[in-house]
Amino acid sequence: MAKGVLVDITKCVGCGSCTVACKLWNDMKFSEKEPTMGPEAKLSANNWTVVRFNEVKKENGKVWRFVKTQCLHCQDAACASACFAKALQKTKDGPVIYYPHLCVGCRYCMIACPFNVPKYEWDKTFPLVSKCQMCSTKVAKGEAPACVSVCPAGVFKYGERDEILKEAKATIARDSKYVQEVYGEKQAGGTSWLYISDVPFEQLGFNTKISSVPVSTYSHNFLKYTPVVAVSWGIILTGLYHYTKRRNEISKDSGKNVKL
Amino acid sequence: MENRTAKPKTVSRRGFLKMLGGVSLTGVAASIAGCSQDPAGGKGWLPQQYQVASSWPVQVKGRIPIDPNNPSIVRDDKKCILCGQCIEACERVQTVYGYYETPIKDDITCVNCGQCTLWCPTAAITERDEIDKVVRALEDKNLHVVVQTAPATRVALGEEFGLPPGSIVEGKQVAALKKLGFDAVFDTNFTADLTIMEEGTELVRRVAGDLKGVKPLPQFTSCSPGWVKFCEYFYPDLLEHMSSCKSPQQMLGALVKTYYAKEKGIDPEKIFSVSIMPCTAKKYECNRPEMNDAGKHVGKEKLRDVDVVLTTRELARLIKMKGIDLTKLEDAQYDPLMGESTGAAVIFGATGGVMEAAVRSAYFLITKQNPPEALLNLTPVRGLQGVKEASLEIPGVGQVNVAISHGLSNARKLLDQLREDKKQGKPPRYHFIEFMSCPGGCISGGGQPRTSLPPSDQVRQARLNSIYQIDAKIYKKRLSHENQEVAMLYQKFLEKPNSHLAEELLHTEYVDRSKTLTAKKNG
Repeated sequence: MAKGVLVDITKCVGCGSCTVACKLWNDMKFSEKEPTMGPEAKLSANNWTVVRFNEVKKENGKVWRFVKTQCLHCQDAACASACFAKALQKTKDGPVIYYPHLCVGCRYCMIACPFNVPKYEWDKTFPLVSKCQMCSTKVAKGEAPACVSVCPAGVFKYGERDEILKEAKATIARDSKYVQEVYGEKQAGGTSWLYISDVPFEQLGFNTKISSVPVSTYSHNFLKYTPVVAVSWGIILTGLYHYTKRRNEISKDSGKNVKL
Repeated sequence: MENRTAKPKTVSRRGFLKMLGGVSLTGVAASIAGCSQDPAGGKGWLPQQYQVASSWPVQVKGRIPIDPNNPSIVRDDKKCILCGQCIEACERVQTVYGYYETPIKDDITCVNCGQCTLWCPTAAITERDEIDKVVRALEDKNLHVVVQTAPATRVALGEEFGLPPGSIVEGKQVAALKKLGFDAVFDTNFTADLTIMEEGTELVRRVAGDLKGVKPLPQFTSCSPGWVKFCEYFYPDLLEHMSSCKSPQQMLGALVKTYYAKEKGIDPEKIFSVSIMPCTAKKYECNRPEMNDAGKHVGKEKLRDVDVVLTTRELARLIKMKGIDLTKLEDAQYDPLMGESTGAAVIFGATGGVMEAAVRSAYFLITKQNPPEALLNLTPVRGLQGVKEASLEIPGVGQVNVAISHGLSNARKLLDQLREDKKQGKPPRYHFIEFMSCPGGCISGGGQPRTSLPPSDQVRQARLNSIYQIDAKIYKKRLSHENQEVAMLYQKFLEKPNSHLAEELLHTEYVDRSKTLTAKKNG
């Protein structure tokens, strides 16, 4: 029963309550160099969620749209599939969570993520990877993530992903102002966070070129050969060992000085 | 000590490796046993109301949106605790947040009233601090720095220095400003009296039917910039009722760089005009693009009528910054030319005050006689009731009906009623309506000293009492038309109320802002 969050971009007024809730609950510092709101807002090791400001053209003039950005918590998470230390794990509740004590710092997850979400604590001596946990401990208790619970504008719907996806589809079918797509339904194999909008997603900085095939499927296409490669490599090396050993014995017997 | 010269023990290779191994084993064991195995995050806190199952709705939550370019208020995210109080003030007291539909257009709807700065328990939301600009101007030897103080600051500034609410510190405030180095200290009361002359004349013209078709009855007051912006956003169809008079602050600003500059022979470009206001919306008002009439008049459109507005709180900080103890200062007098004022002007700071002052002088303008004693203490328009009304007999006109509202939620009641009456073709119920953005009027404006949370009527009442005390007991005159400096201004410069020059400098136009939002249909 995986949880999900539906974000209705048309309802956001840009107050940034969600960004403050994230900082409070996760005990993270604000930095002036890394704004959590505005046109320059970007995810960082200290910003697990930001609200990006966009001014976009619409029928008669310009409109302001605010996009809350955070880890989308893929159903088939590329980061978790890339992590050999099991520091990133997809839970059955929905969140993809990170265990700092298991992380070896290889940063494969950062390369694997199609949404460019995991960040590295570059400014620390012993850095770790850092990303939104979807407030996994709150979710486990039946509470909504911090950002969701504080929104005064009714932007979010929190619930079973299947149900909120149905609701999202019903909403966009009912109201023609919406773009007829639920972002996150299929992207990267589907994500726990879903978005609906009245402005095309690519104009709001969403990556719309992400395939609907989970990234882990691609890696599986070659990683599935790993056992075959490992076994056959062993056989080849064993063969070579016996071959050279035998060649040495023969050369010793025949008195020839064969250098290997 | 005896081993000081002894050779240190040699460590064998085996010993060294053993030691290294031991250290690393302990390290690994410690990190597995002692270090947290929790997932990242979730180590902070959230206010109690949010720590409930997702199926329970949270009642008071979030915070209001604030445009980073808002000229009046700013917010420090580091101090915000998401208590939801700003939304309570904005939505319930001022009916701004939540009164427009989403999606929004290209504006974050805000009337700049600053009530949220009084409600915010951590002072995360504050006025936009512009003390630096004033300090720089005061240090600039080439600038002639002029300051004006609003009616309501004189009954509140003292609170910042430990005096009880409502303490009257008019003279000490002037003394402090002179000590800070301002070259001239004027009283916004002076232009409040002037406003009464202009607005009263306009009202008499409306009542007489001189302005039929263009400016109908009732006439709305226009002194409160938060109220004006509110009307522009939500009731643009009623803007024809708004008096064309600028607020007293902007009138004084326009006169400083024309009349005062001319009288004193100072280059208007060298004048830096500061206002001390109980209001954050005044910061926005002085930046309205059309507020450069003095500049236009002297042919330098870039000049602003008022350069910087400081709130009462900022003035208190500036005085403390300079190490001045306000309570120890000897009272000083406002400078002449624009320093005289009457009791009618000082009550602008109280809800109902503009109405009362206008009634006093309108009576005179119509009958050419001073109003009877009863009109000098118009109790039905005083006090903290949200919507007040009164009926008066004025010889020659008959019954004049007036209404007063303070706090924008109360304004909606009168405005919706007027809209409905107009739709049904009913004659107007009132001749004149006073609207103030903030509950209690300017004495409880968004720039006033912070009090209890939420701001209490007790403090408001104390400040109101002092305002009426100044009117009744302290000032010598109680009628705007008796202000000699105002009379002199008309004689030397403006000719008469609503003259061509007065229209140019003291009157303004309004903007329909309904296109920047989708107002919710109410009722």
